[in-house]
Amino acid sequence: MKKKDYVITVLFLFPALFLLAVFVIYPIISNVILSLQEWNGIFGAPKTFVGLDNYKAVFSNESFWTSMVNAGIFLVVGFLIQMPIAYGLALLVTSRIKGKNFFRTVYYLPVILGTTIVAIMWKNLLNPNYGAVMVLLRAIGLEDIAFDWLNTPGLNVWVVALVNCWKSAAYNMLIFCAGLVTIPEDLNEAALIDGCTTWQRIRYITIPLSKNSFKVYSILCITGCIKTFDIIWAMTGGGPNASSSTPAILLYLNAYSFKLMGRSAAIAIILLILGVVLSVGCNKLLKQEEY
Amino acid sequence: MKKNRKQIVLYIIAVLWFITTFLPLVYAVISSLKSNDEMYRSALSLPKEWMFENYVLANSIGNAFQSICNSLFVALSTTIIEIIVGMLAAYVISRKRRILLARTSYMLFVIGVMVPVHSTLVPISSMASDLGLKNNFLYLILVYVCFNLAQGIFLFTGYLDSISKEVDEAAIIDGCGDLSLLCRILVPICKPIIATEAIFSFIYAYGELVFSLTLMSEPEKYTVPRAMLSFYGELAIQLGPQYAFIIMTAVPVVIVYILFHKQIQSGVMAGAVKG
Repeated sequence: MKKKDYVITVLFLFPALFLLAVFVIYPIISNVILSLQEWNGIFGAPKTFVGLDNYKAVFSNESFWTSMVNAGIFLVVGFLIQMPIAYGLALLVTSRIKGKNFFRTVYYLPVILGTTIVAIMWKNLLNPNYGAVMVLLRAIGLEDIAFDWLNTPGLNVWVVALVNCWKSAAYNMLIFCAGLVTIPEDLNEAALIDGCTTWQRIRYITIPLSKNSFKVYSILCITGCIKTFDIIWAMTGGGPNASSSTPAILLYLNAYSFKLMGRSAAIAIILLILGVVLSVGCNKLLKQEEY
Repeated sequence: MKKNRKQIVLYIIAVLWFITTFLPLVYAVISSLKSNDEMYRSALSLPKEWMFENYVLANSIGNAFQSICNSLFVALSTTIIEIIVGMLAAYVISRKRRILLARTSYMLFVIGVMVPVHSTLVPISSMASDLGLKNNFLYLILVYVCFNLAQGIFLFTGYLDSISKEVDEAAIIDGCGDLSLLCRILVPICKPIIATEAIFSFIYAYGELVFSLTLMSEPEKYTVPRAMLSFYGELAIQLGPQYAFIIMTAVPVVIVYILFHKQIQSGVMAGAVKG
């Protein structure tokens, strides 16, 4: 009987573990090795051991730090713009207004469309000649700011981050909703009897009780922003001159445009370490606050 | 009176965000039937001349229909395989917890979630070249399955844990083995969570970009995001066909959404509680 259980365990887990080994564990090991080598990506070309040179090259490369700053911009927009919008929408669709289900359903549409579709759509809307945004700006006399936003270093990352915010606000809205629906109705009623205004109720009851959702949001936002790839790739391709790239884009460019496989692998490992450290760190840090 | 004012403010905000999300989409639909010239002159009016050619162009140059079929095929296969593999693993993790392998595997998947997919990108694509599996749909599908698996296993395990063990015991007394217990008894009970996870992996696989960018190089095998990017590269100045392409490729996911929006929303919320 016991033996049968073992057999079943192994058999049932095999497909999942096999995929994990082939597509996660092996690639990571292979990247660790590759990050210590120099290779031009051509099959059969020699790989030479160069120690930590790739890492040094990455850290002394200006575009790596630009890409970290860009990830930081996504973080800033995520916390200062997206979080308030998402939380406000969550309050709205959990309030007692009529048609809230309808609003919730429509708000979620951009999330469903997928990143590439949204990115290309906004790229068209922001087209400097025919895009709706620019046509509108010109129509109301703001010709000065109707230029090619996505091609302007310094501005493009902010624009992309805002589009990202447009796209995923509703997803985060639902994260906050999940927390809001667990707040007992009695608390609000009690506060109402005590003569609290709506704002006071939100400030002193709803927000403190949403602490958990804020934690979940923070973890998703912090770990998400270093992994940003799709939306930037589709909207600016990381350009002009890598000014809008994130670490993930640099990794891709190094591997497939510059054929610096070792350096790309080094970025992959840095990303991996950042990803794990940030997830574990955020979880630890935010969980401790509870006590 | 005061209550009324509050309601009005809420409505104003609700409608404002409604416009912010919906207007660009409506605009895209209208513009997909316009020429560049008309977009320039009258951005928000209905087209004077209905340019259905835009759709024809998107299909003939951008391979829209072909890419939609490819994406649908990849998304459906990913979903089915992921659910089978995920349910098998989740069953063992939930029901055979005494066994060390089951517990360690669960830990492995937890750690696996933290790995950014990009850290595995280049080796996965080199492996495909080495094995001659570039442009192979099955390889792409298995990669998608792998990166959806962790989420699936979490959701399934959580759901299975909430089903009473008495159900199992009754089934075992009736002579059910592990496989028939899983397939005949537990899977039907798990239907809601399976539906949720199915929709997530479907939408993920339909619109995934990075791997299709590196693993697929033959235009007739492009999935939607890849085809869209290359179409943009070829015909960037003509916005009409661009919008037409967007609308065509959005149709399948929007249909899925309209049919299943309740499950999607409850699924996101269930995932958020667990964190």
